[in-house]
Amino acid sequence: MKSTLLLLVVLIAVSPTVFGATSLQEQIFMARDKVMPAVVHIQPVVTNYFTGELEKQSVVGSGVIFHPDGYVVTNYHVAGKAERIICTMYDREQVTAEFVGGDPMTDLAVIKLNLEEYHGVVPVAEFGNSDSVQVGQYVLAMGSPLSLSRSVSAGVISTKDRYFSADVRLPTGERTGRYNLWIQTDAAINPGNSGGPLVDLEGRVVGINSRATLFANNIGFAIPVNIVRNVTQALMADGVVTRSWIGLHCQAMQEMEKYFGTDRNSGVLIASVDPGSPADEAFLKAGDVILQMDSVPVSARFVEELPAFYNRIASHKPGDQVLLEVLRGDQKYHFSVTTRQLGELQGDDFEAKGWGFAVKAITRQMALEYQLDDTAGVFVVGVKRMSSADEGGLSRGDVILRINNEIIGNLEQFETLYEEYRANTTPRLLMTVKQGGATRFILVKTEEEEEGEQTNE
Amino acid sequence: MNNGVGMRAKGIFAVLVFLLAGCAVSAAVAQDLNFEQLEQRIPRYTVIIDMSIEVSFGIHSAEQKGQYLGTVVTKDGLVIFDGTDLLGDNGMAAFTGISVKAEPTSVELVTLSGQRIEAEYIGTDQYTRIGFIKPVSTEGWDFEPVQFKDNPKFAVGDWLGLYMILPDFIDPPIAADVGMISALVKAPESFALTVGFSQVEMASVLYDEKLNAVGILGLLVDPSDTAPDGGIAESMSQYAMPLLGVLTGDRLTKLINDPPRKGEVSSGWLGIRLQALTDDMADFWGIDGKGGIIVNEVVKDSPAEEAGLEVGDIIVELNGQPIEVNREENTRLFRRAISELGPGTALEFTLLRPNGAGLDTLQMAVTLAEAPLGATDAPEYESDALEFKVRDLVFDDYMFFNQNPETLKGVFISELRQGGIAEVGGLHYGDVIQRIDSHDIYSVDDMAEAMEAVEANKPPEIIFFIWRDNRTMFVNIKTDW
Repeated sequence: MKSTLLLLVVLIAVSPTVFGATSLQEQIFMARDKVMPAVVHIQPVVTNYFTGELEKQSVVGSGVIFHPDGYVVTNYHVAGKAERIICTMYDREQVTAEFVGGDPMTDLAVIKLNLEEYHGVVPVAEFGNSDSVQVGQYVLAMGSPLSLSRSVSAGVISTKDRYFSADVRLPTGERTGRYNLWIQTDAAINPGNSGGPLVDLEGRVVGINSRATLFANNIGFAIPVNIVRNVTQALMADGVVTRSWIGLHCQAMQEMEKYFGTDRNSGVLIASVDPGSPADEAFLKAGDVILQMDSVPVSARFVEELPAFYNRIASHKPGDQVLLEVLRGDQKYHFSVTTRQLGELQGDDFEAKGWGFAVKAITRQMALEYQLDDTAGVFVVGVKRMSSADEGGLSRGDVILRINNEIIGNLEQFETLYEEYRANTTPRLLMTVKQGGATRFILVKTEEEEEGEQTNE
Repeated sequence: MNNGVGMRAKGIFAVLVFLLAGCAVSAAVAQDLNFEQLEQRIPRYTVIIDMSIEVSFGIHSAEQKGQYLGTVVTKDGLVIFDGTDLLGDNGMAAFTGISVKAEPTSVELVTLSGQRIEAEYIGTDQYTRIGFIKPVSTEGWDFEPVQFKDNPKFAVGDWLGLYMILPDFIDPPIAADVGMISALVKAPESFALTVGFSQVEMASVLYDEKLNAVGILGLLVDPSDTAPDGGIAESMSQYAMPLLGVLTGDRLTKLINDPPRKGEVSSGWLGIRLQALTDDMADFWGIDGKGGIIVNEVVKDSPAEEAGLEVGDIIVELNGQPIEVNREENTRLFRRAISELGPGTALEFTLLRPNGAGLDTLQMAVTLAEAPLGATDAPEYESDALEFKVRDLVFDDYMFFNQNPETLKGVFISELRQGGIAEVGGLHYGDVIQRIDSHDIYSVDDMAEAMEAVEANKPPEIIFFIWRDNRTMFVNIKTDW
């Protein structure tokens, strides 16, 4: 048996003239049959507070089962803010799923099917190796872009190391992409395909489809499966991906070697240092060129090499020392930087019902992004139109620092105060907010919740 | 003088209004304005201003010819006119990304009898938009300044007349027009609104039926404009239409005595950001009165900081007079008052300071400083080689970027030719250049020095270190010497 199979493979490989006319078609069928049953249609109900109150929205996406216990990998932007997830299996049976964990930085999420609801055999797709894929290699994009029916589109790998600057945002608001490159393909990837697998002709997953470009044809992007493998492992173990952070923003050395007097393929250029970050506290500066990290030479001559460099920092345990050899001017210096956990990109949401707005906790990454002095206060996510908060001038992006005389240190304190004021039905609140760098005072008239409104008028 | 078609058309209009008004017995009519008699008088102080203006829009510039109606207002021959065209965009470039500037390159006064007098442009007041021009010499020019009536009184229905300028191919170049007082408004400022006039007649002298010069055609305070005290306007007007009316002589006196000079600061500055004490807010604090100013930010090293003003203070009186600002739109009145009082003016504020339980009442003395330079007045440097312009950072930039002179140094890229070397190389409008090769840049002088060195060496590439989107980065500019 084994030898016949081997013989067949050899025959296919050496006799393209004999089998060539049908082999591509057959390979596509084979890959389809291997992976398609593991593709699930995902219909989560996601929540947001952009209008100042809880809004639920049913979205669709795709995912692929990669573990016999029912673990499915999909995009963070599909399932990351999901309240309730319904999946449709290849045999059209519906199964609910639980959110296991998500990683906005790589736009990946893991959900787990409630397999006790399912009576069929659980098909599992196999992960391949995205480092060994080649430009020009045939791939299939699978998913359920529009409805429950599955679809396959075919194309080739256009580029395997597409870089996006770190300022790309997910539909959910988080910055993404700092720690990975993308596989670019011309296989059609449409919105509902998000989270579906990109598959090679051997029927192995080489990427997770994540985004299409709206302004161009036939350009889709998938997260390489080697990144997916690491992220899903972390999400299954801890629910989050823990990364170390030291606060560097680097740029490619190309075209800068002469100015900094470095050799080709040597060094990573620091463009900017986040204020108050470990790198700032260690006195690293913009214009420093990192030659070695932990005694190993590093380089980022091209932007495509930056994610790998950031990943090397991120893969340290928070609290670890990173040893950097740095070229400053014509002198070499050694720095020891104590890493901190990168932490959440965005804080938890909270709707202040009856006050006409919703807020979220401020994480350190948010403070950096919005140029806040620290993480004090709560961040206004949305304001209900025509509410007194709206009329008073409260708007998205404001940071509430005080309510009446009480300082709001964090979301917890806000929630406690909210409960107190609701219990006392305080009619008016004076909020001290930061709005674009300046303080502003906003008077909010509180409303009774709808249940209690009917009687005394 | 020929009053032209405009007058006849208005005459018909006036009759119509008269008929519609139900032929009220005592209604005044436009015919009471004796333009024939006025025409004897106005050549003494009315001039046509012939001006060439260089208008630059980004890095593009064009020369425009403009004719304006001017009025002599002092014995030295100071002339006022509608200076709107010369205001540029002070501060707004931060929003639009393109700076617009208008600089007069040549100015001449032409009397109604055709005499030409060389003159120079002085400046334009950004609140009233009145421009000022001075003759280089008054020798051989026989003139007499206009006399504005003191404290003119108006009633709704009063007719007013003025002269407007006609296109330059028409002779004679001016025509009469009439309008009517339509409302006497009290807020946001005391102002007699008119109907029947148009914005192209701004700054024309207005005459009542007794032919007194009662003021000039001006605008009701417009909150959507920018102001030097707050950096960027804090509220936007919802009205697209300008509200015209009478800017009386006494409102003009201070401006005429000390006209704003381009590039020089003559407006007073307190150094706060502010918001209005709305009725709701006043009620919350239990404050009686008609409004006030809540201090939102106190600028470092400003008169406000020196005097001890704090964020959250509520200013309710200025020199013993209540501040009647209870709507966001009206904060501009306060800012204008501060601006017009001028640098060096000592003021007394009464303010209320929240103390946790209630409010403390405090008196505070403040001496106004000079308002910081605006973007249009900041020193500039232009590089022909790299096809871009930079200017010094100004107060508005720090406000806009949420930075201060300690945290942000450099020069601001104010203009960038599209397709030019700097633009193609990856520099953006609004980037702050902090270093060029090994030269640290703190001002346009440093910039000039650095660029001189660069141009002497003509390197194939120049490394810029810039600040953009709250971060720094290096940019390699390939040159093309």
